[in-house]
Amino acid sequence: MIFLRSTRNELIKIALKPRSYLGLAAITGLVGIILFALKADGMSMISFVTSSFEQTLRFEGNLLNGNLVAFIVLQMLIVHIPLLVALVTGDLISGEAAMGTLRLLVSKPISRTQLLLSKFLAGGIYTLLIVLWLGFLAVIVGQWLFGIGDLMVLNSDGLVILQANDVNWRYAGGFCVAFLALLTVSSLSITLSCFSDNSIGPIVSTMAIILLFTIIGTLDVPIFDPIRPYLFTTHMASWRSFFEDPLPWESIQKSIYILLGHNLLLIGISLFTFHRKDITV
Amino acid sequence: MPNSIISIRHLAKRFGNFEAVKDLSLEVQQGDVYGFLGPNGAGKSTTMRCMLSLIKPDQGDIHLFGKDIRKERSAILARVGCLIEKPDFYKFLSAYRNLDLFANISGKPSTKKEIYEMLEFVGLQGREKDQVGGFSHGMRQRLGIAQTLLHNPDLIVLDEPTTGLDPQGIIDMRNLILRLKTEQHKTIVFSSHNLAEVEILCNRMVIIHQGKNIVEGCVQELLNEQEQVIRVQTDESYLAPAFALVQAFQKASQFKKLGLDGFEVSMAKSDIPAFNQALVTAGIPVYSVETKRKLEDYFINLLQA
Repeated sequence: MIFLRSTRNELIKIALKPRSYLGLAAITGLVGIILFALKADGMSMISFVTSSFEQTLRFEGNLLNGNLVAFIVLQMLIVHIPLLVALVTGDLISGEAAMGTLRLLVSKPISRTQLLLSKFLAGGIYTLLIVLWLGFLAVIVGQWLFGIGDLMVLNSDGLVILQANDVNWRYAGGFCVAFLALLTVSSLSITLSCFSDNSIGPIVSTMAIILLFTIIGTLDVPIFDPIRPYLFTTHMASWRSFFEDPLPWESIQKSIYILLGHNLLLIGISLFTFHRKDITV
Repeated sequence: MPNSIISIRHLAKRFGNFEAVKDLSLEVQQGDVYGFLGPNGAGKSTTMRCMLSLIKPDQGDIHLFGKDIRKERSAILARVGCLIEKPDFYKFLSAYRNLDLFANISGKPSTKKEIYEMLEFVGLQGREKDQVGGFSHGMRQRLGIAQTLLHNPDLIVLDEPTTGLDPQGIIDMRNLILRLKTEQHKTIVFSSHNLAEVEILCNRMVIIHQGKNIVEGCVQELLNEQEQVIRVQTDESYLAPAFALVQAFQKASQFKKLGLDGFEVSMAKSDIPAFNQALVTAGIPVYSVETKRKLEDYFINLLQA
């Protein structure tokens, strides 16, 4: 019971903290700009992509539809969302320490394990809300503004065209994997938050780690080959696999296991650190 | 010990090379108002934080209500209310919401009515819905007390509760501690730099210096071991006969002039009435006899020793 009450407390704090709405407002603004730009001049962008195939293929129908728009939005934003998640979750422990409320929380009869897990759960719920909001704006608003049609995706294997009635479940799956990737970012920032007594450190550190791992992941240097498949950043774009045909289930499953593994590892490190932490501030 | 509320044995805590607490032991009984005295960095706050499991000791045992804090932390902390150092709260939340959040994890959730009553008790009625960010230090301190008392704890731990308060705030805080002691029979442990405060409020105390327990015991007994310093105000022309009388009064010593019309002299507490009688009998007008702050001298003598 005390765990659920603590989780409720954490959600109330997130809901009443102005910073929490920064992420939602940023997503709304960015998606709004992308949708406006595509509505105003989207066809020229489509023509640029299709021109290279026009010698062999003839395109008919509404190519610039809601499904394609949603895919473009996700492609553009999913890289920036980690910052918006870390902005709130990186503050969950260190922000309490900076405010001086951590000593009050820890002197209450709730165990440190329950307190920390309630913060992880609240951080996860906030991340889910961010993903759902992004999904609503990209898919629902996108389809409402641009209509429904077949989805044309250009990936490493070439051009994939998915029928309109074959797309929604792929978005659902893609968002689930994207949520798992962002949950890992949330867990990472909470873990870093356990080591710090100021709010900014964990947020900056989270972004620095994402940047570092992304660079390692993209550098074509053989020495990094053994670790590259196990970096969580390698699997942050796995949501795209849902838009391949046939579906690479094995690769998706591997990404899910690695991301889940990262989450469990980070929660373990946090519990170990938080239990040993002396609350001196 | 059946009535022992706090029992600390051989507590030690080190931060890097700094030994904050060294082999500290103390005992607090039920109903005590127990003072932690000591200069800055003496180890008072570290000891209190260890008691509340905010800090893990390197050595020693801490039992509250007869239970080991390491083994029965939750059960113990459900019976403790504390205010450690500054009264920090969520500035973006209202006073009511802050109390509600902390009450939710205090073992006994409070109703809206109870929270409003507690806010009224500490004099914050009418400010329930105001954001704490706009509160003065004194108001936050009151809110801190409300948070401490809301779940009706058996033991109250206050770390320097009067620091930063204005004179009226200090008086209110003292009165509140006295009320909690006399009306609700709470056991209260508090640290303070204000020696007069400890002397007025506490029945027992510990003096901590450089992480060690220098002395522990009943405040009055400890003070009575000391000679009292009394200040007498008379007329300027009577200072010479008063000095002669002090020399004749064998139990008095250390005569010292104070300004133009007063003097200071040391003697045992039990000899003060006889000395006063002797002054009056000798025809020396006595306008006032007051005891100098005893604990102050006691404290300074101890630290110097």
